[in-house]
Amino acid sequence: MNEPFTARLVAALNTFYEGVMGFLPGLLAFLLILLLGLAVAWVVRFVVRRVLTAVRFDRLADASGAGQLLSRADLQATPSALVAAFLFWVLLASFAMAALSALDIDAIDRLTAEFFLYLPRVFAAMVILLVGFLFASFLSRATLLAAINAGAPSPRVFSLAVKLLITVLAFAMALEQLHIARSIVLAAFIISFGSVMLSVAIAFGIGGRDVARRMLERRFESKEPGDELEHL
Amino acid sequence: MSELSFLPADLQSRLAEIGEVDILIGVPSYNNARTIGHVVRAIQAGLARYFPDQRSVVINSDGGSTDGTAEVFAGAAISDYATILARHPLRGVHRIITPYHGIPGKGSALRTVFGAAVATRARACAVVDSDLRSITPEWIELLISPQLAGGFDFVAPLYRRHKYDGTITNSIVYPLTRALFGQRIRQPIGGDFGFSGALAREYLCHDVWSSDVARFGIDIWMTTTAITAGFRLCQSFLGAKIHDVKDPGVDLSAMLMQVVSAVFSLMQQHEASWRPIIETRPVPLFGFDYTVGLEPIHVNVERMIGIFESGVRDLEQVWGKVLQPETMSAVQSLARQSRDSFRFAAEHWVRVVYDFAVAHRRGVINRDHLLRSLTPLYLGRTASFVLQTADADADQVEAILEELCVEYERLKPYLVERWDS
Repeated sequence: MNEPFTARLVAALNTFYEGVMGFLPGLLAFLLILLLGLAVAWVVRFVVRRVLTAVRFDRLADASGAGQLLSRADLQATPSALVAAFLFWVLLASFAMAALSALDIDAIDRLTAEFFLYLPRVFAAMVILLVGFLFASFLSRATLLAAINAGAPSPRVFSLAVKLLITVLAFAMALEQLHIARSIVLAAFIISFGSVMLSVAIAFGIGGRDVARRMLERRFESKEPGDELEHL
Repeated sequence: MSELSFLPADLQSRLAEIGEVDILIGVPSYNNARTIGHVVRAIQAGLARYFPDQRSVVINSDGGSTDGTAEVFAGAAISDYATILARHPLRGVHRIITPYHGIPGKGSALRTVFGAAVATRARACAVVDSDLRSITPEWIELLISPQLAGGFDFVAPLYRRHKYDGTITNSIVYPLTRALFGQRIRQPIGGDFGFSGALAREYLCHDVWSSDVARFGIDIWMTTTAITAGFRLCQSFLGAKIHDVKDPGVDLSAMLMQVVSAVFSLMQQHEASWRPIIETRPVPLFGFDYTVGLEPIHVNVERMIGIFESGVRDLEQVWGKVLQPETMSAVQSLARQSRDSFRFAAEHWVRVVYDFAVAHRRGVINRDHLLRSLTPLYLGRTASFVLQTADADADQVEAILEELCVEYERLKPYLVERWDS
């Protein structure tokens, strides 16, 4: 009576043992790949940080307005440190996903494949956001300068409006890229953008008719009344 | 000559037919039919009265006028030389009309004039604007004689202007150029110049014709190149400069940006020339200085101060990257002053200009934005100047400007220190 029980117990333990022995190499490979990824990511972060410092990337970023964006977001790190850190985490995440595939579990393999397929969209969305923020910053400053130099009232309002519009557009494009709630984002964008434009048209067309006429007259008349200075 | 291959083929043939000349007068133009006739007659009268025995050519370098400028230029003539107390020139005056090649702008037009001067081996040359209403025959004598008789290579104009005219020149270009290069050329961007054939050849040696110099920086570039290349300089008093009303839509901010950008770029190019200069000296002056009655002009000081105050409120982030803390603080406290005590001190203004020059060199922000952000500060300084000189006559105003120039010179070590830091 004990023999079938013992044989089944041994067989079960053998199966377990084989399962563990079959899994252990995968686990070891997982750990090794993860450690390798950590090392590679750390080296890349170090090298990228040095290279960006050498080419004065922080100064370029500051001149383009990116530095200002970071300080407004209360990020104390320099742009070069942020780029290096971003690359570090992307590499580490990629190696982690690759390490997971070493475990040879179907569900994880499918998850890994989907992650790598989705990664380019994440990059594209981040590039869209970065370009959008920089463009918004650049254009809003240009608008601010033009409005101040033209003697327009409340120049900051014009500047913020331009920044808001471009930022909203960038966010909408990034979400579109990530395939996140596409129809909702699209509808919300169309409604909000359209309503802003309609409000501006109504405000100027009806509410600010006289102001618009005076602004246009000032723009196309020879000079401001009483300003006959020749600057050159 | 291969160096003159940029000249249109027709022009090269025409110049070859003419051969060598003693005097060449260039008139760049673009849609100046209303005024160019008077300019041409003044040139013709000047050549007849003062240089009747010299071989001369007048060349119109045109940017594609569509209002009949070329026809007016060709047809303008003095009907009776006796009325201008001159005799018909012995040798006649050749007249050439040519389009210029290159990017649109006065620089490309003048490049053609320089090329013509070299091709004809002209000894003395001059360029006058085609929209002048106050040009007289004496202008030709005053721009040419210092070259022929005095051996000078560059003749800068000296005008008698209203005390409020030329504020960019008075507050930035003149004192800055003077402090940097040591020559007291009162109007370095006057627009009407004399230059020798040798200097024309020097101008053509520089490859600037695809840059912003060709668009809007040619005047200051000519003056700076003449100084740094070691040519002999002088000035001639031409009297009042009255020209056709400029396009009223011209944006002051864009104009300021173009002029200051050209000056700052030249600072960077000629750093080795201006760094060691610690003294300035006067430049010989020709002509008979006389007072000119000028129509009063009205200035909208309130608008200027309003833009200045708006800049102080909204441009702190931009100016904070450019100005030193003490200067920034002085500018901010100025915005809180009442109109009666609104005075943009010369020292603070000079520090502003030098800080902007340094920031332009370093590219701390987009250069276009940097220079546009100077406009509110410039208007604040101009408003202060107008208030300060409300009851001053021309000599008193000139004395105040001289104080400003001295301040630029006194603070030059500050510029050098910031430049190097």
